[in-house]
Amino acid sequence: MDFDLNQEQSAVLEAVETLLDKHAGAARAVELAAESDYDAGLDDALEQAGYGDIASAMGRLEAVLIIEAVAKRGGVVSAGARLLAAPALSLDAPPGPVALMRTGHSGPVRYAAHARTLLMLDDECARCIELEPGACPAVPSNFGYPMGRVSDEIAAGGRALAPGSGPRLQDAWRLGLAAETVGCMEGALEQTAGYLKERKQFGRAIASFQAVQHRLAECAIQLEASRWLTREAAHGAGSSEAIATAAAFALDAAGHVFAETHQLSGAIGFTREHDLHVWSMRLHALRQELGGVAGHRRAVVDQRWGAGSSQGSGEGGR
Amino acid sequence: MEFDWTEDDARHREQLRDFLAEELPADWETISQHGPGGDAQAAFSRHFCGRMAERGWLTQHWPEEYGGQDASPWRHAVVGEEMWAIGEPRGAQYMNVNWIGPAIMTYGTEAQKAEHLPRISSGDVLWCQGFSEPEAGSDLAALRTQALRVEDDYVINGSKIWTSYCNHADFIILLVRTDPNSRRHRGISVLLVPMDTPGIEVREIPSVVGERYFHEVFFTDVRVPMSTRLGPENEGWEVVGHALQFERVGAARYARAAVTLDRLAEIAQERGLLDDPIVVDRLGEARALCEAARVLTYKVIDLRAKGSPPTADTQLARVLGTRADNAIGVLALEIVGPEALEYGSFADSNFRLAMTAGVAVGATEVQLNLIASRFLGLPRE
Repeated sequence: MDFDLNQEQSAVLEAVETLLDKHAGAARAVELAAESDYDAGLDDALEQAGYGDIASAMGRLEAVLIIEAVAKRGGVVSAGARLLAAPALSLDAPPGPVALMRTGHSGPVRYAAHARTLLMLDDECARCIELEPGACPAVPSNFGYPMGRVSDEIAAGGRALAPGSGPRLQDAWRLGLAAETVGCMEGALEQTAGYLKERKQFGRAIASFQAVQHRLAECAIQLEASRWLTREAAHGAGSSEAIATAAAFALDAAGHVFAETHQLSGAIGFTREHDLHVWSMRLHALRQELGGVAGHRRAVVDQRWGAGSSQGSGEGGR
Repeated sequence: MEFDWTEDDARHREQLRDFLAEELPADWETISQHGPGGDAQAAFSRHFCGRMAERGWLTQHWPEEYGGQDASPWRHAVVGEEMWAIGEPRGAQYMNVNWIGPAIMTYGTEAQKAEHLPRISSGDVLWCQGFSEPEAGSDLAALRTQALRVEDDYVINGSKIWTSYCNHADFIILLVRTDPNSRRHRGISVLLVPMDTPGIEVREIPSVVGERYFHEVFFTDVRVPMSTRLGPENEGWEVVGHALQFERVGAARYARAAVTLDRLAEIAQERGLLDDPIVVDRLGEARALCEAARVLTYKVIDLRAKGSPPTADTQLARVLGTRADNAIGVLALEIVGPEALEYGSFADSNFRLAMTAGVAVGATEVQLNLIASRFLGLPRE
């Protein structure tokens, strides 16, 4: 076992960071959010650098590292769907951006308004739906991502992929969710810890109060455990169980980190001028997918103890 | 990054499981119901550790010059997981092989090495650790027990508390104040004291954790030769700090919690509780917690294997290990139901051992302080 990045992984991350320095960051995320827009520039840059194929070229772990990094910098690109879900279905260079949806889902879908490819999770088979520009109307949302609504007609279309593609899509989607959650939690926690070190009340930095320190320490524990569970699950032949476990932990942690970073930041944390929302609001969007925390936990139980309890695991089945 | 076990370590885990299946008696659950400090388990540990020693497994992580095999920290972790998961048949001896032996290797005189290391590596000696005192718990540096020089001896007066295993121990590794004018971390020394030295009295502190779990140890004019001192005089704080730097991650609590959880899932299935979404949710949550504690512990082992200086990763892992143990202890009560109320039952035994997790070997709050300062770099004032 080895928890350090190897040379290739360090090189990839360094290159991605350089690219993110140029294209991403909280200010860019805020600018895009004002127009509910997608970051086509960042998407192009990632695509041109070849990161779309990183999962097949290097592995899922490397894709996870990139998704984490993009989320930490507030990147408004559908990295999980493009870097993990599409390759899991052997879709090379699908028209992008790529959005993900599950049969029976009702409500806005992340990135659907801008997506040119929609991957639909049915039970055994996944479907690939090509979207015309403007096919899915934009939906206003406060949760940090551009959203769109997919009509029943569109959701019913597309071509079915091979049997077994459903579970593969589900694993890839879940892994991407966990990785993105890690990046968003890290962004939110760094922002909050940095602010609390500066902000003085009662004549001292808020971060020097033990009551505050313990709460930040708890967030750090949750974040680090989420990060390493996710990376471990992404490595090699990481199983569906390992992926569900990582997602169950990370998405639960996301609720905790949201609540704590906002509580500790005080009123400024709710404003648009303070960047916390760039990461924090997304955490709750991520908690809506694949049945949320309850859905991931149920998947853990199914995978580990073969409970046959998967009935009602749809988003309405909590 | 690489998260797979080597073939050798994976094979060793299987060997250990086969060995445990052979060596543990049919009534192991009864023997182990009071935990590593119980009378039956302490007695069994001498037999069991002898059997491990015969195979060269008890101290395989020790250097070859002391009879070990220089096995990696990963191999050592496999042993720790398998032993703790099944209720720690090594009893208190896990401390001997994990850190007391290595501390003697690092700081001991040739005579101390010759006296202690062969006994530890053959598995027939029990040790306990005398650290906490009535006025020095989380604030260990406040300790008061004194050892004053009289001729070529130390004369020890004071008391230790919460001491586990001392009712069976042959030796105690003792933190004492050898400079009576010192304060805090200075002026402390480590002594290796035979428990049958005149003037030592052990009293059990009855507790809800179980039989013979906590004790108080009183030292009244206990006279031991200066040759019992481990390391330099008045530098005992550094000696213990160094010896324990990687041990603070604690026992593989997550491994035992995970085994308990598997059994709870089985019970839940037998009772048809897996149709209950609340039970499913709790099981999934608990499993994720065990795995989270495991992976953070592995991060610490990775640092150790690379010879990196210890970091606050140890505290991160420790807090989650505690949480996993506590959570599954409570979940066992809930899933088993009223049968858990019988003393010595599966859920009861598990709960009793789990309930001390957040306090033993450094309270969670102290770990959180360290995470705040060392991991997050938060200011003190």
